[in-house]
Amino acid sequence: MSSSPIDAAASQALLITRTKSHHAPSHSATSVPSGRAAAKRIGAAAVALCARLVVLLLIGGFLCATLVRYSPGYGVSEEELDSRLNAESREALKAQNNDGGLLNFYVGYWNRLLHGDLGTARSLQAPVTELIRQRSPETLTSAATGVLIGWGLGLPLAIAAVMTRSAAIKLSANLLASSMLCIPAGVLALLCILWQVPGRLVLGLVVLPKVFEYSRKLLARSAAMPHVITATAKGVTPTRILLRHIIAPALPQLIALGGISISLVFAAAIPVEVVCDIPGLGQLAWNAALGRDLNLLVIITLMLTAITLLANSVADLFGGRKPLEAA
Amino acid sequence: MRRKGLFLICALVASALSAGAYAQSEMRFCLSSQPKTFNPLAVDDDASETIRYLTGGVLIRLDRNTQQPVGELATAWRINKAGDAISFTLRPNVRFSDGTPFSATDVAFTVERLMDPDLHSPTGDSFRSTPGKVATKITDPYHLTITFPGPVIGLDRLFDQVAIISAQSPQKYMAVLGPYYVADNKAGSTLLLKRNPNYWKHDSAGRQLPYIDSIRLDIQQNRDRELLRLTRGEIDLVNSLNAESFDLLKGQAPSMAFDAGVSLDSEQIWFNQVPTSPLPDYKKAWFTSTHFRRAVSSAIHRDDIARLVFHGYAQPAVSLISPANKIWFNQKLKPHAYDVKLALRELELDGFRLQGDTLRDRTGHAVEFSVITNAGNKDRERMASVIQQDLRAIGIRLNIVTLDFPSLIERITRSFNYESCLLGFVNDELDPNAQMSVWLSSADNHQWNPNQKQPATAWETEIDRLMREQASSLDPAKRKRDIDRVQQLVWEQEPFIYLVNKHALSAVSPNLRNAHPVGLRPQVYWNIEQLAFATQPRRPQ
Repeated sequence: MSSSPIDAAASQALLITRTKSHHAPSHSATSVPSGRAAAKRIGAAAVALCARLVVLLLIGGFLCATLVRYSPGYGVSEEELDSRLNAESREALKAQNNDGGLLNFYVGYWNRLLHGDLGTARSLQAPVTELIRQRSPETLTSAATGVLIGWGLGLPLAIAAVMTRSAAIKLSANLLASSMLCIPAGVLALLCILWQVPGRLVLGLVVLPKVFEYSRKLLARSAAMPHVITATAKGVTPTRILLRHIIAPALPQLIALGGISISLVFAAAIPVEVVCDIPGLGQLAWNAALGRDLNLLVIITLMLTAITLLANSVADLFGGRKPLEAA
Repeated sequence: MRRKGLFLICALVASALSAGAYAQSEMRFCLSSQPKTFNPLAVDDDASETIRYLTGGVLIRLDRNTQQPVGELATAWRINKAGDAISFTLRPNVRFSDGTPFSATDVAFTVERLMDPDLHSPTGDSFRSTPGKVATKITDPYHLTITFPGPVIGLDRLFDQVAIISAQSPQKYMAVLGPYYVADNKAGSTLLLKRNPNYWKHDSAGRQLPYIDSIRLDIQQNRDRELLRLTRGEIDLVNSLNAESFDLLKGQAPSMAFDAGVSLDSEQIWFNQVPTSPLPDYKKAWFTSTHFRRAVSSAIHRDDIARLVFHGYAQPAVSLISPANKIWFNQKLKPHAYDVKLALRELELDGFRLQGDTLRDRTGHAVEFSVITNAGNKDRERMASVIQQDLRAIGIRLNIVTLDFPSLIERITRSFNYESCLLGFVNDELDPNAQMSVWLSSADNHQWNPNQKQPATAWETEIDRLMREQASSLDPAKRKRDIDRVQQLVWEQEPFIYLVNKHALSAVSPNLRNAHPVGLRPQVYWNIEQLAFATQPRRPQ
């Protein structure tokens, strides 16, 4: 894209504003790091990310195991009430449910995990690897659909709310986003059942208000900056102002919001999959919680922790520089 | 050459179109969870039991309508006088779904696997009355005798649960002798059963059964959605409905709603009488008092529960055996009547007195206790509310605590940290011998006070004796007398305060022919091979 003299003037205004208001760090304008130093920094960041990931996975997994292990009803099964079972079978069932203590379980669990064995889900009597393999595509499809719908609706609505002067459009956009924010995901899922609409659409509606609210605020802040007013006054086209002077400065934060929206869809997947009977990881997690299935719950927790961390880290990586915040 | 090619394409298209025009009949209904196993011998959950019923071939089937055993893969059978051996004559020329021939070797193999002590299956345990090994003697490919280490009560009926597996098939237990076989399994989503091409049964016109080509079972945890799907035509039956949904359906589409009358299942409340439980002594004294339990029982308006909670689709329960059990129910007993005056008289006998609107025991403690029940079961939560109201009339304050099922099981089987519990018992077996582990005072499932070294009361001693005697007797009249007496003792002592027996409610699409729902499981599809569609249903996509 070629830059017009008017754009250049507006960019200059932006640079002046930043420098004046916050004394932006000198290296951003003056010193350009060498390729070697940049590679070193990226390497260090990657090592730090891996270390953080490992530590958080260990802590997250242990916390989950502790919560489940000491929750009431752990280690009992409904089958114990079967009057047809004799005393020996009932004892065998109890012995089968006894994992020999938390630390014993957790050390053994990581030992097995490092050897590629995820164990067996007690509640479903099936290998955890198989369950995860069967259920993941459903949840990943739902999550992708949710993120796409949330951003596909949320961002245009936010742009419309910022760019338009029509009070009706602003009000409608606000009303829609607020309604979605107020209605719990489970209720939206029930409505999907009644209206015979695919349940995974709910995930998009869960992401929508967050995307709308945050991106509207970010874009409004961008739009209120002096260089945008200057550009408008100098007759720059609205599309150019939007793309170069409103969205571009807010991009790092928008990318970070993308990371958050991924965590959001995975959290919302649990009630939605349970209510709509979608055979995904969310439903699996719910069943595992009800059945106090330690093996399964720990691995799902580890997966969700890893996904959340990776999404946020990728968002940090791409949106690491925060010019708007600096402004 | 070009013409030939064109002709070939036309022929292929025509053949594809004609194949598409022939619609295979497919029945759909829902399972509430993924079956834990397809091994018919290891079944211990409802979903697996459904698959076993639809796919498993059994020697003897209990006719759900007449409650009598009828021959299936066995054309004849005979139990010896000692009641510890059964001889079968098998149906000839039968093949498993994969074409493997069926013979006495398969029955012997099945019994051997079933009785493996490491299997720990409820089906196998039902046959284990005496310690020791089971012996099978194969006379010829169609005759064999199975000898148990001791007499087994209701031996022929127990074979209703034993689906025969193949000793030779490479498909192992996935090769079946029942009307359908498992063709596809999408875990957590759907199961597809297809008609067994080698099924041995034919109708009177000589047509091979079953009539319906395939069954699609959707895993549907959300039970409320099941009814919605039925009314939309997405599924063809709901095997078990709660009273509220049934009432709703009856208003909307009465032709779909089936009430098969009272079922074998019961709802009951019991008090914790475990001496080592962490309850204060004065509460233990209340709960072990027969007068107290009788008073509570008399203060509960069972008709109200049946009317308000179950919309009239339940009837006041009497004792451990439901009136639906035509053979074993003690006809002389009647449900306890609602009688507040009688309740207060019973309480006075134990030194309780009503002060204002509060009942106090002889030491001055206000009578207040909690009832635990499983969360999410609307009927039980409502029952608890009705009981709470009823007990207020005799000055008792009842607190309702709902717990998820694992927590509840832990309390009633491990920690014994509860005061009373409201729960239902699902009965699949007609013979009360199957309830031995509930009624023997030494048993784990003797819920109010399990694992007793010596019976704590005289009436428990008598129940122990009667249950043991009936289990070792082959005289049906003596067994009936013993079981009648047990029912009477339970009715008098009320260790379980029986509340109601629910009706077996189900829903069936009017398009499904030959459906005659009954009270015994599986209520609607017990005659699966006879079910047929009037017209092939159109499914919404």
